[in-house]
Amino acid sequence: MTHPAAVLVAHLALLSLISFGGMPGVLPDLHDFVVTSHGWISNQDFANSFAVVQAIPGPNMILLTSFIGWKVGGVPIAMAAALATFGPSCTLAFAVFRWWDRFRDRAWQQRLRRGLAPMTVGLVLAGGYAMARSGDVGPAGVAVTIAAIGIVLGTRLNPLWLIAAGGALGASGLL
Amino acid sequence: MALTAEEENPAAEIALAALFVGFLKISMCAFGGPVVWARRFIVERYRWLDDREFVEMLSFCQFLPGPNIVSLAVCIGAKFRGGAGALAALAGFIVMPWSVGFAAGALLLSYADAGVLQGVLRGIAAAAAGLIIGTGLKLLLPQRRRPASLLFAALAFAGLGLAKLPLLAVVIVLLPLSIAAAGRNAPAAA
Repeated sequence: MTHPAAVLVAHLALLSLISFGGMPGVLPDLHDFVVTSHGWISNQDFANSFAVVQAIPGPNMILLTSFIGWKVGGVPIAMAAALATFGPSCTLAFAVFRWWDRFRDRAWQQRLRRGLAPMTVGLVLAGGYAMARSGDVGPAGVAVTIAAIGIVLGTRLNPLWLIAAGGALGASGLL
Repeated sequence: MALTAEEENPAAEIALAALFVGFLKISMCAFGGPVVWARRFIVERYRWLDDREFVEMLSFCQFLPGPNIVSLAVCIGAKFRGGAGALAALAGFIVMPWSVGFAAGALLLSYADAGVLQGVLRGIAAAAAGLIIGTGLKLLLPQRRRPASLLFAALAFAGLGLAKLPLLAVVIVLLPLSIAAAGRNAPAAA
């Protein structure tokens, strides 16, 4: 049987190349693969890792796969998991961007870009909505989300204060 | 759109060090969704791109596989400084933030079952969700005079967020219509 670390790294490299629309779209697959199929980490560990990477800065999807790698084979596999998560997709992005940028003034590309933009905004909004609905959010949590939207749109307050306030409210047990 | 060529003429003055530091800051601030911080630094603070250019660049990266904002770092680096720029932005985004995040996260994970920490994480997620939604709404601003764009953004949100349809299904149905609409009414001075 192949070493689990190699299987994990190969699977992450594959997800890196097929996760069109971003890593969140392949999270269910990743969960099935590491929790259900191989039993490398428990469901609770996966959920905790996901919650933690949402709450710390940095490249959060890469950190998520790194924590899975860490459970499988320690820090070296965490690093390999990180590289497998962004290496293939970054190489592809660079190559495709060089090609795409050559045609940036063409009418067809301007039209394509204008058509894509609303999809992207919808995707960002849906991502925020999914996060707002995740876990067992009560009315207080919804109120925090709505307040954060208002503050982002209406003020120039540094959003770090909102993160800190959300964390403090959560720590106090109000949410 | 007549100004596009001049507008998008790469500002060659963006130094490799600036790309490295810029994406380092984005990553180190990126609680709960790097798109919030990418827009804040790239559009508001550094003015490397305006909102429309940012959303178009983000679109390009969002429809590629892999972590989107990492691809955004690569593409913005490449746009301004070629291969070296892509590497500088990528290194800024990943190396130090990954090390710090990994250490902090590993520490947090050993307390992950504590009730207080669960509460903190819930509170941060609630605030971060608001930041992401607010940022999404800001990205709509350059398109606010184009009813078709607003309609397709709303439909994409409804399909993905409310109906929980797969991205591929939503894109296959909506994208051709959105592109058709984008061609018919060229934007006013966007």
